Amino acid sequence: GLRPLVSTEAPPIIFATPTKLSSDFPVYDYAGKNKVPELQKFFQKSDGVPIHLKRGLPDQMLYRTTMALTLGGTIYCLIALYMASQPRNK
Amino acid sequence: MTHQTHSYHMVNPSPWPLTGALSALLTTSGLVMWFHHNSSFLLTLSMATNMLTMYQWWRDVVREGTFQGHHTPTVQKGLRYGMILFITSEIFFFAGFFWAFYHSSLAPTPELGGCWPPTGITPLNPLEVPLLNTSVLLASGVSITWAHHSLMEGDRKHMIQALFITILLGLYFTILQTSEYYEAPFTISDGIYGSTFFMATGFHGLHVIIGSTFLIVCFLRQLNYHFTSDHHFGFEAAAWYWHFVDVVWLFLYVSIYWWGS
Repeated sequence: GLRPLVSTEAPPIIFATPTKLSSDFPVYDYAGKNKVPELQKFFQKSDGVPIHLKRGLPDQMLYRTTMALTLGGTIYCLIALYMASQPRNK
Repeated sequence: MTHQTHSYHMVNPSPWPLTGALSALLTTSGLVMWFHHNSSFLLTLSMATNMLTMYQWWRDVVREGTFQGHHTPTVQKGLRYGMILFITSEIFFFAGFFWAFYHSSLAPTPELGGCWPPTGITPLNPLEVPLLNTSVLLASGVSITWAHHSLMEGDRKHMIQALFITILLGLYFTILQTSEYYEAPFTISDGIYGSTFFMATGFHGLHVIIGSTFLIVCFLRQLNYHFTSDHHFGFEAAAWYWHFVDVVWLFLYVSIYWWGS
């Protein structure tokens, strides 16, 4: 979890409705929670990694698969077009 | 510690323009292989590489905007121009098919019997499913506007409900139109009537599917708290596209289904 930047002690209640501190982060995770602030912190780490690989392993695997299929397909395509352009003598 | 002194977005080097361009090469040559050499391998590969490129490219745009904060007002203005120009290009795309329809239907040749619909063609009744389709898309235009206003007012629950209804209506249109295609008494190869009908309505249907996909992505992003009440351009772009799809249908309905029967 995140270390709170301000004191987590409840401030003296001025109005009738108690307010919740924005630094209160429950450690457990459940669907429907706003994960955008943590993701913002994560993606803004200045580690020099380009955006398409920023998440590490899953990004790398998807990138390599895409590149392999695309480049492999291009080579296959050029060979297929070369063969298709050969005259077929009846 | 370096930082930029302007409000523009200097994008990280990315492989997706290359993979996108190569997938376009695979698509075109894949079509050649499928049409003339009885092989759908390249075409299947091209669809896969295209989907992978689109997914990762747009995933990166979300990361850059929502998570890294690169979408300043200046950048957002550029994105707005971009979307408007893209939709304008699509309007011209459909204009071509409407031109073809009016060219053939305003002066029907003797081969067709000198009339429109041509002799032997039984057109679909415009007051049956096509009218229902019109009401479905018009209603979806209302619900997406409701979703937008809810979003601007910070009403999360109603935004989600309204967007969900919009998506359901889009899916309902697609199902109805698929059923119409299956049941139609004429096919694409039934002369110029069949060609103009299925090319125009077919590309429209494809755009409904694309628009519905865009809306579903917005729905998932909204569930994940990506949109704020004053910054939600992805949703606005989807809404513009959806209204465009609706307007094209209205032109199709009036021209091809109604006047053309």
